Amino acid sequence: MASGFFTDTTLCIGCKACEVACKQWNELPADGYAFTGDSYDNTGALGGTTWRHVAFIESTPDAPGAPPTMNRWVMMSDVCKHCTNAGCMEACPTGAIIRNEFDDVFIQPDVCNGCGYCVPSCPFGVVDLIDHQVIQPRFASDGRTDDNAVQTHGGVAGKCTLCYDRQKVGLVPACAKACPTDSIQFGDVDELKDRARKRVADLQSRGVDASLYGVDEKTSVGDLNAFFLLTGPPAAYNLPERPVLPSTRQPAGYVSAALAVTGLALIGLALFRRESA
Amino acid sequence: MRELRDLSPDASARGAAAGNGVLAPLPETYYDRPLLKKPHWEWEVITYLFLGGIMGGSGLLVAITDEKKDPELSRNLRYVTFALASTCPLILVKHLGRPERFLHMLRIFKWRSAMSMGVWGLIAFSAPVTAGAIGQAARDGLIPRWLRWLHPRPLTDPLTAVLGAFIGSYTGVLLSATALPLWGIGKRHIPMFSACSGIAGACAANSLILALTGGSEESIEKLERFETFAALAELALLRDFRRHAGSIGDPMFAGARGAKLTRHTEIGGIILPAVFSVLPIHGRWKTVVSSVLTLIGGYVLRETLIEAGKNSADDPRAASRQPE
Amino acid sequence: MPGLGTSFGRGGATTFVQDLVNSDCILIEGSNFAECHPVAFRFVMEAKERGAKIIHVDPRFTRTSAVADVYAPIRSGSDIVFLGALINWLLENERYFREYVVAFTNASYIVREDFQDTEDLDGMFSGFIDPDDTTADGQDRSKYASFGNDAAKPVPGNYDTSSWQFETDEVPRYDGNGTVKVPKRDDTLQHPRCVINVMRRHFARYTAEMVEEACGTPRETFLEIANLLADNSGRERTTAFAYAVGWTQHTVGVQYIRTASILQLLLGNIGRPGGGIMALRGHANIQGATDIPTLYDSMPGYLPMPSALRNEQTLADYLKSVTKPTGWWANTPKYVVSLLKAYYGDHATKDNDFAFDYLPQISGDHSTLPTQIAMKDGEIKAYFVIGMNPAASGFNAELARAAMDKLEWMVNIDAYETESASFWRREGVDPTTIGTEVFFLPSSTILEKEGTMVNTNRLLQWHDKAVHAPGDTRSDLYLFHQLGLRLKALYADSTDPKDRPIQAMTWDYPHEDPHEHDLGEPSARKVLMEVNGYRVEPGKPGYDCPQVTAFTELADDGSTAAGGWIYSGVYPDKQTNRARNRTGDEWTSLDWGFAWPANRRMLYNRASADPDGKPWSDRKTYMQWDEQQKKWTGPDIPDFPATKSPHEPAKPGASGVDAHSGANPFIMQLDGMGALFVNGALKDGPLPAHYEPMESVVGNPLYGQQSNPTLREWDRDDNPYNGRENPDYPYVLTTYRLTEQSGIMTRYVPWLAELQPSLFAEIDPDLAVEKSIRNGDWVTIATALGQIEARALVSGRMKPLRIGKGKDRRLIHQIGVPYNYGSLGYATGDSIGTLIPLALDPNVSIHEAKTLSCTIRVGRRTSGPNARVDEPVPANQVSDWGASRPHGRDEAPV
Repeated sequence: MASGFFTDTTLCIGCKACEVACKQWNELPADGYAFTGDSYDNTGALGGTTWRHVAFIESTPDAPGAPPTMNRWVMMSDVCKHCTNAGCMEACPTGAIIRNEFDDVFIQPDVCNGCGYCVPSCPFGVVDLIDHQVIQPRFASDGRTDDNAVQTHGGVAGKCTLCYDRQKVGLVPACAKACPTDSIQFGDVDELKDRARKRVADLQSRGVDASLYGVDEKTSVGDLNAFFLLTGPPAAYNLPERPVLPSTRQPAGYVSAALAVTGLALIGLALFRRESA
Repeated sequence: MRELRDLSPDASARGAAAGNGVLAPLPETYYDRPLLKKPHWEWEVITYLFLGGIMGGSGLLVAITDEKKDPELSRNLRYVTFALASTCPLILVKHLGRPERFLHMLRIFKWRSAMSMGVWGLIAFSAPVTAGAIGQAARDGLIPRWLRWLHPRPLTDPLTAVLGAFIGSYTGVLLSATALPLWGIGKRHIPMFSACSGIAGACAANSLILALTGGSEESIEKLERFETFAALAELALLRDFRRHAGSIGDPMFAGARGAKLTRHTEIGGIILPAVFSVLPIHGRWKTVVSSVLTLIGGYVLRETLIEAGKNSADDPRAASRQPE
Repeated sequence: MPGLGTSFGRGGATTFVQDLVNSDCILIEGSNFAECHPVAFRFVMEAKERGAKIIHVDPRFTRTSAVADVYAPIRSGSDIVFLGALINWLLENERYFREYVVAFTNASYIVREDFQDTEDLDGMFSGFIDPDDTTADGQDRSKYASFGNDAAKPVPGNYDTSSWQFETDEVPRYDGNGTVKVPKRDDTLQHPRCVINVMRRHFARYTAEMVEEACGTPRETFLEIANLLADNSGRERTTAFAYAVGWTQHTVGVQYIRTASILQLLLGNIGRPGGGIMALRGHANIQGATDIPTLYDSMPGYLPMPSALRNEQTLADYLKSVTKPTGWWANTPKYVVSLLKAYYGDHATKDNDFAFDYLPQISGDHSTLPTQIAMKDGEIKAYFVIGMNPAASGFNAELARAAMDKLEWMVNIDAYETESASFWRREGVDPTTIGTEVFFLPSSTILEKEGTMVNTNRLLQWHDKAVHAPGDTRSDLYLFHQLGLRLKALYADSTDPKDRPIQAMTWDYPHEDPHEHDLGEPSARKVLMEVNGYRVEPGKPGYDCPQVTAFTELADDGSTAAGGWIYSGVYPDKQTNRARNRTGDEWTSLDWGFAWPANRRMLYNRASADPDGKPWSDRKTYMQWDEQQKKWTGPDIPDFPATKSPHEPAKPGASGVDAHSGANPFIMQLDGMGALFVNGALKDGPLPAHYEPMESVVGNPLYGQQSNPTLREWDRDDNPYNGRENPDYPYVLTTYRLTEQSGIMTRYVPWLAELQPSLFAEIDPDLAVEKSIRNGDWVTIATALGQIEARALVSGRMKPLRIGKGKDRRLIHQIGVPYNYGSLGYATGDSIGTLIPLALDPNVSIHEAKTLSCTIRVGRRTSGPNARVDEPVPANQVSDWGASRPHGRDEAPV
């Protein structure tokens, strides 16, 4: 059984309980206290120590004093997509990134050596390295130091684990558990997809422009175990319209390089080995 | 005006009063924030790309040169490849987030990961290269002569060349096998001009060494001619990449960075040395100047490529429709 | 609280949040439900999925508006116009639920002829006693600040409510012994002075056009909402209202609630599934904090505190003063005596009036804000600040801090060192100049102690101690228990009568667990058992006596004791703590926790059945009369005598609920009816009228009387008001809270602090352009009281509104600033409380924090928040114990 998330953005109220539950469960540090001015989103994006990120998109074109008919404030809890064909996993040279028994993409924190190649290889910009500096002792008042956090997090790549540790003991991921409106739904991916398709049909019949992102996709990335129901173009949510699995570009690259090298090598042989005049 | 009393409880209120059901469009990007993540690659990676290109190119030259015709060059090549093959991995280990875990790279062999292939390629390359250095040192009398039997040239030289070719070009593949638009769109160009640049750089580095150590002028001349071929090929590929990439290529070819690339790499690193090579000037200093210009050009190319690639990660519009 | 209490009988939410899934329509106003109650909001989302229409009316387009079906913008402070216009629309279009209204409300009661309405007196009701009239009966009453029923006679600045009474008929008593007066009624609703017609006249000027003019809400949107409410009420469909402090924190806050109560009675939604008024209380235990109260004028179970201003010096006089002859409150003596037995145990006997004179008597308004002022004037020596942070989250926060400077000593009991605990080293202050001795007692957080919490559903839920608190930290229960023990020891040998209450109080709650006992922790279980009540066995401690199972078992003869009668039933026997129950179901979940009263989840649920006891419709079935079993049945506990037939006639002259018929659902009320017209219990009027806030940017478009004449204000240099229509402060300022933050608690949690790290001000784009403010800039917001700085968040969700008519019509800008910041923590910012001057509602002393006026400029603030507030005020501005004064009549502007 493949487990995953169906994130239905029409149910999201932007409370960020998912962000906090995730950070608390995984003992991740805060990322700084900077005001962005980007609506209510002071988090900005997913990163090495932010594994759930709630996006806020405002669109308020009504003129002053006019009936408020078109105002929208869209909220969406973003997460690692746990792609069927995962760019990060393709890139990983140590085998730290694996597909676990729940078919989710998992970074083994004791194997990763922080080479950072997964970071630019994710078509969705999810995974990042965790800076050593960021891990600070947080619970110093009760004498407990944060060696464990440095061991597990410092210098390695971090992203959503789909709460692998919780799934192993039969618990639901922390974000899904905390979500008060069930915008984040956890379960068997095929069942979630069926539910999502029905939901889209229902919303469309009510005049809502709903679509699924990450289901029945024909890209080289494939379907996403963590997929979304959106009510607008993906780019507005900072999701790529057309993601590409980067490793698919390699054959063309190797062939081209081989041709170039072979050509030059032949010229070189002529230059160096022909009989001197 | 339609009587609002006629509205049934099920009529959607949104838009009904205004007579339309259309919601406001959403913005085109998310606050213009980057959609992708850029790699944490600084001077270590740029330096490795540069030195690795020279290392690979030198490895190729090992097989191309005829030891009888150019014995000094052949000898230098063996030491140069060994020196680079010893230091480049150290640079790479240093830039790991957990350097003490560098051996984890050997846990798997994944041909679909350019970095895994690169690691194994480096390791594989170090074998014939070390043998070559040992053999050379033995023949040079620096170590016991019997050790030269550890260096069976018909076996190790082709390996050095093939693996060297791989080393000199795989980094181009590694870059384009990421999501960054500039690198992705260069999936053919970047490996090719990286290889050309590596070969040109190897020629420049080795002719520089020969010039400074009083080596054979004939060898230098061959190197310079080969370098010109490789560099002109590199120039052609860069210019074609500029055309092919279109606006996605702006971080690399436009603005101050593009001007620097043109100045230091295209003009300084390729055209000027090519011009020097046909001018009727002789003397070691011409070689030194020309080689240094080429090497600077090679470094600037790598630096530009990396920094521009990181920049391209910042543009959400370019990152939204990723190149195939 | 009294808004609901006077309308229906109890000052609490009439329903429970889980029932919202049954609503066909939910009106959310005066609340940002999704923001501030996100977990309860799941039931609204579920209702929406089942087809309910969600309406959100708010000055800002918030996270609730984002998922609502209809959003209506409104000028902050003008909700009575909006709701009053809905009432007017229902009455004009005859869209109210007539059968329900006639049977269950006082719509048909006839008001006295000498009653004069706001229509007659340009915004006043008949009976107002001018504040300058201090010696009408020879007494100087100008210093009295009266609240609740604490005045023997009406005092200046309030109304004499005799003209608000109903005409009466004399009818024979039920037992034939003479006659008794009952209100005169016209059930045909024709009489010009019956309540519903008085209301028609009263609300006639509250039209859709007036809504557009006064609230800025487009007419079409208003009419859309009116239709949605009417279409979703009646026999087959129900509508629920949800509100929070957006409605209560105004100087007419109680009347906002009254308007909503009238609406829901007219629509016939009270006591019905999917209906009701969900008063969303904040914090986890604010409901508990008024049930077993930290209010100065209330004893546990909403029994009034004895008052020196009324004739209540003996137990008999007090009981006579506060006991209502009919309705459930006729049982008051049983609850009072049982409470005294709980307090004083064997020391309370019939002979000493059950130690009634051990209770302190209030002599004015001792609520927190006047007390704070008294502190600043040097009249109060010491202050216990417990789980509260007036220096940051208080109103006129700088005055709160200046007040603390004047104390001799202060005790802070908190889990965090708050701005109040560290007031003595705040910005701009030299600690060596402050003489206050400050004690800080660290207290446990919820996981570090056992006890109950009572949430907005009136639901008691027990929580166990999960971890030991570090170091010297102790639970609040421990700290107060210890204080009591030590005071008892200190006073043990005293012969002074004033020390007897301390000597006499029962204070024995030994913990069952040996480790907790060794720590000195008292047993919260035993406290809850005492709150529940027990049958007194002299000589035995309460926890060894048999528990009562319901408040119907409480007596006024000293045979029972109960620390909080409304909770009786939570601990019906020694083994059963119903607050621990955790068996839920899909609806009422009677086996999850214990709701007061008597585990009733929905109040007034008798009204879900018609006068004959049958559900109004199959679709909306809740409680119904079972003729076979001769009792009320349904998914809930009946909020009605369980075996009283719907056809039981009223018994005129009987006491308690016997005076009511079987068709009077509101058992706490004198007459068992829902009150559209409240004839005396509220200070500012029997019907709601729109008054502008103290700091309004416009004149009252409905009346010459600008603001609530009975609201409480001060004339002090350290509490200046902007005044009405002050051109220096032309923008409306409204305040609110954020999901991510609460106060000091969350500002110290990195994961929460990073989500909203900075104080910001939400500004509409037009105002931003006008003031050259770019998104993210620092801005300074100023009022006459002070200035604060914040980051600008320019957003189209704030839209200026067109207010006024004719040539006065103009764009009004509204600025929103959240409440959650202070100088300490990872997320810091100025306290908006710095800008809020004290102006209070007259009924409950709640402050006006939701509508202010201000000005704004780009740039950081140039000085401390407000230097002037620290200075003492001239002697002529000092009042007794910080007493406020009434607002009085407003002159019409020139």
